[in-house]
Amino acid sequence: MDEWKPNPAIKPHKKRSWYLAWKYKLMNQRTLRKLCQTGAVLFLLVTVIVNIKLILDTRRAAYEEEEESAQDYDDELLNVEVPRHPVSNKKVLDVEVYSSRSKVYVAVDGTTVLEDEAREQGRGIHVIVLNQATGHVMAKRVFDTYSPHEDEAMVLFLNMVARGRILIFTIKDEGSFHLKDTAKNVLKSLGSQVAPFLSWRDMWTFVGKKGGELYGEKHAKSPALSTWGDPVLLKTEVHLTSVEDAECHWPDTELNRRRKRFCSKVEGYGSVCSCKDPTPIEFNPDPLKDNKVFDVPVAVIAGNRPNYLYRMLRSLLSAQGVNPQMITVFIDGYYEEPMDVVELFGLSGIQHTPISIKNARVSQHYKASLTATFNLFPDAKFAVVLEEDLDISVDFFSFLSQSIHLLEEDESLYCISAWNDQGYEHTAEDPSLLYRVETMPGLGWVLRKSLYKDELEPKWPTPEKLWDWDMWMRMPEQRKGRECIIPDISRSYHFGIVGLNMNGYFHEAYFKKHKFNTVPNVQLKNVESLRKDAYETEIHRLLGEAEVLDHSKNPCEDSFVPDTEGRVYVMFIRMEQEADFTTWTQLAKCLHIWDLDVRGNHKGLWRLFRKKNHFLVVGVPASPYSSKKPSSVTPIYMEPPAKEEGAVAVPAVAAAEQT
Amino acid sequence: MQKINKNVVLALLSLTSLVFLLFQLYYYKFYLSQKNGAVFSKVRGSQSGQDSTRWHVVRKFLGLIASHNIPVYLIDPLILGLVDKDIEQIRSSPGGPTPECKYFCAPRDFTTFALLDKTWKHEVGLFRTAEKMGFQWLKFINKDPRLDGMDDLSGVEIPLHYIFKLASHAIHLVVFYERSGNYLWHGPLRLKQHMDRKFVPFRKLHFGRYPGAYEKPELLLVSIDDLKVQIPKNPSNFLEEMSHSRFLECRYREARAFFQLYPDDASLDAVEFRKKAKSLLHLAALTLNNLGVKFWLSSGTCLGWYRQCNVIPYSKDVDLGVFIRDYKADIIPAFQKAGLPLKHKFGKVEDSLELSFQGEGDIKLDIFFFYEEDDHIWNGGTQAKSGKKFKYLFPKFTLCWTEFVELKVHVPCETLQYVEANYGPDWKVPVKTWDWKSSPSNVQYNGVWPVDEWDDVIQIY
Repeated sequence: MDEWKPNPAIKPHKKRSWYLAWKYKLMNQRTLRKLCQTGAVLFLLVTVIVNIKLILDTRRAAYEEEEESAQDYDDELLNVEVPRHPVSNKKVLDVEVYSSRSKVYVAVDGTTVLEDEAREQGRGIHVIVLNQATGHVMAKRVFDTYSPHEDEAMVLFLNMVARGRILIFTIKDEGSFHLKDTAKNVLKSLGSQVAPFLSWRDMWTFVGKKGGELYGEKHAKSPALSTWGDPVLLKTEVHLTSVEDAECHWPDTELNRRRKRFCSKVEGYGSVCSCKDPTPIEFNPDPLKDNKVFDVPVAVIAGNRPNYLYRMLRSLLSAQGVNPQMITVFIDGYYEEPMDVVELFGLSGIQHTPISIKNARVSQHYKASLTATFNLFPDAKFAVVLEEDLDISVDFFSFLSQSIHLLEEDESLYCISAWNDQGYEHTAEDPSLLYRVETMPGLGWVLRKSLYKDELEPKWPTPEKLWDWDMWMRMPEQRKGRECIIPDISRSYHFGIVGLNMNGYFHEAYFKKHKFNTVPNVQLKNVESLRKDAYETEIHRLLGEAEVLDHSKNPCEDSFVPDTEGRVYVMFIRMEQEADFTTWTQLAKCLHIWDLDVRGNHKGLWRLFRKKNHFLVVGVPASPYSSKKPSSVTPIYMEPPAKEEGAVAVPAVAAAEQT
Repeated sequence: MQKINKNVVLALLSLTSLVFLLFQLYYYKFYLSQKNGAVFSKVRGSQSGQDSTRWHVVRKFLGLIASHNIPVYLIDPLILGLVDKDIEQIRSSPGGPTPECKYFCAPRDFTTFALLDKTWKHEVGLFRTAEKMGFQWLKFINKDPRLDGMDDLSGVEIPLHYIFKLASHAIHLVVFYERSGNYLWHGPLRLKQHMDRKFVPFRKLHFGRYPGAYEKPELLLVSIDDLKVQIPKNPSNFLEEMSHSRFLECRYREARAFFQLYPDDASLDAVEFRKKAKSLLHLAALTLNNLGVKFWLSSGTCLGWYRQCNVIPYSKDVDLGVFIRDYKADIIPAFQKAGLPLKHKFGKVEDSLELSFQGEGDIKLDIFFFYEEDDHIWNGGTQAKSGKKFKYLFPKFTLCWTEFVELKVHVPCETLQYVEANYGPDWKVPVKTWDWKSSPSNVQYNGVWPVDEWDDVIQIY
């Protein structure tokens, strides 16, 4: 007891309890345990919370996405995908081929792929090419081998078809009259046993594979000259190969992918689908320096002549200064093959539902194409208009680039055209020379937007008026005295032989010998002199320097023009008033230039070349240039041959419709 | 005993939580690989990681675009809004390194860019490169509206939108097309049936709910957040424009059906009238736009647009509507300067104002001023000889852009209500004899002008 002395200064009790507590804790580790417990619980809690958050987060994200999958953005139109021709996995095709006097048909797996029973049409050998892997029709042709030269076209075509393709042949009416041995041998090499003995009015069907294998052949001989062989119906089976085998193994590039797509669908384009050494489909011609037409849209007006379109686009894309992005191909009708060609070259194509018939259909197609072009390129002041049966000169865009400012600045101009109606091999000479003419040649030309939008489009002939768009454009109500600029040597070449107003004879007579510029980068001469007033000065200068030819000679004779080079000559013909083209037509006829209607004139003056001399023809007294005629010279008058009038009238109509 | 129990429970709990943790990790990994990290940063809650993801995706996208020489420009309203605040500074600074990521790291789901269609070549290579860089992409195509107005052209669908997605961020690329009328157009974004609805939260897109029409913007190359990017030169103007850019396409199909029923007048007179009306409208649009006065197609001109996508050839005048709040005293002198003398002026600014200008030939340009009330909008008419007032009532409407005779103009978005109010339910039937005082179905007699005001409210020249 005496040890205990309470001392108020210190607080031993407190100290002790703290100490004890510490000691106790230390000894028992209860606090530590508690600490651990709390820690563990906290840890657990955190884990649980994080977990819950994670679950909520992902849930919400998923929910939101589901919710927000944009009802607003749903396409209202239910796109009911129409199943395309079902691609059967069948390995065997049933092929039926029928040949008779008045009807042919081909059915593949029950689907008719060819049927022709039209009267007086489709005579000759019908050929169908099928893809050996899919059975799809890749090409359909008819060669009227009753007529001359058609067998050559057939041989050409058959040679272009790739090995392994399935070929189906059938004759309608008559197919042997002009089927020469070469063609027969080609057919024989395809496996036909009958072909070498095909004769007058025989019926014949044949299915084979290019490069061998005969699937079936039937033949009915004509018993007599006046009768046909009995109709034959061939039913056979064709074994399909794998897709792999049917395709070439080109390196996998963007271009080759396009090529592959093309080549698996169509046939008859030769080396573009060649496995070993395919012809390029991208050309990369040199760009033009200071190209003023780089941003000018190019409208290619096309119908269903895919082979023409192919040739045309090749030449167009090879022209220097071409801008593929500005090219749009307008196809009149829902034809697949022209579209395939367009896609092969990576261009854009637009199909147009045909409206009306014949010339009016073409005319409506033109209108739709031009309107669409200016809609698609609202910035454009001009459009280049081309057709599918034209070759385009290598300097086509260079020619336009050098002259387009005239169309912009000179109100008296109607168009710039790449075509000189009178520019034949023997009448055109100077690639750098331009003319002004009162006619509208078309065949590759430039249209001013304001002309189209303000004048032409609103009153374009309606479908029920069966008019030609170009004839309509040439009418004085539309042309209003304005002129077109054309080159001496054409920058386009009209190669089409098949067409609405075109046939082989006509083409041979008026288009085949047309001169076509092949020289690149031609520097045009004196472009400024093509302006309205400057051109008059230029003509007066030319006439002033021109030597007057001997008017006592016959202008049709070669000797009419002296054997010189590079001189300027002038002759005067009789032309009573502005529309009197009697003498001119006769002169054009004997010069073998365009004589079906009047083309290429400028105020009663025609400019062309003869024997490499510039040759001017002035109509007196209608032409304002008549004053240049020396008083001693009597204008030449040539009378139209009276007899031929009827004969002339027929091609004149055809000609009027053409181009 | 209790202690042991507690310990066991604790140990068990810890084990469970450990398992939980492991499971979590596994789940993260699983989710990551599937969603390209979409949720990763969200859950981690680390804002900076998410921010830099956005910046990285934008940078990658710009790199992709640059490697294919495709000129895009930024039209993202969020970023442009931020940029606009600092526009002076951004314009003046040549683009040295910036301390913080201020714009491209801002929280958002998309970054929106615009692409002018004519400036690129639709190379497929772009998408292959994009895929190699890890982008997933979607393309939205639809019919080309530039060819829609034409009879039976087909074959072309054009790309309207692209979405490139990488990690948790997506780039929305809006394709703009130039159209007749010198403006830019972008299409609506519509999902086709087979499309992945969850690709991105489509609802949050700033462009694509409706088609839109814009002026061609002047662009400015700037460097923001160390990225070089083109932006509209005046972002605030662009944002303003964006807020009312909705575009209505003319109803070409219905117009064709209309012309099937009532063949178009192709006479020379009709052609002439349309030509004159078109040039008068162009002139009026130019004049009013220069003044900054917003206007829309009204009455017969609006009906012509809505019903037949063309000028009604027998309508004899061009009608425009203007809100009275947009009235400017300069309007009359401006038109006179443009060669359109004032023909008459009815009413006054406070009530029933109407201006008529004499166009070339016999065509009149009528400008009706519209007064807004709580539940309707109206404009007034005045009969010159009697001083009678008329009132034409319309339901409330907003303005949309459209294209008419190669011009970008406003029309009421709620066109049908507008036309029906004016022409009644039979607006589809052409009526050639029209009396403005009695024919409209929304006309109301509105009293007579006091005679002493006549000199002011009835001015005829």
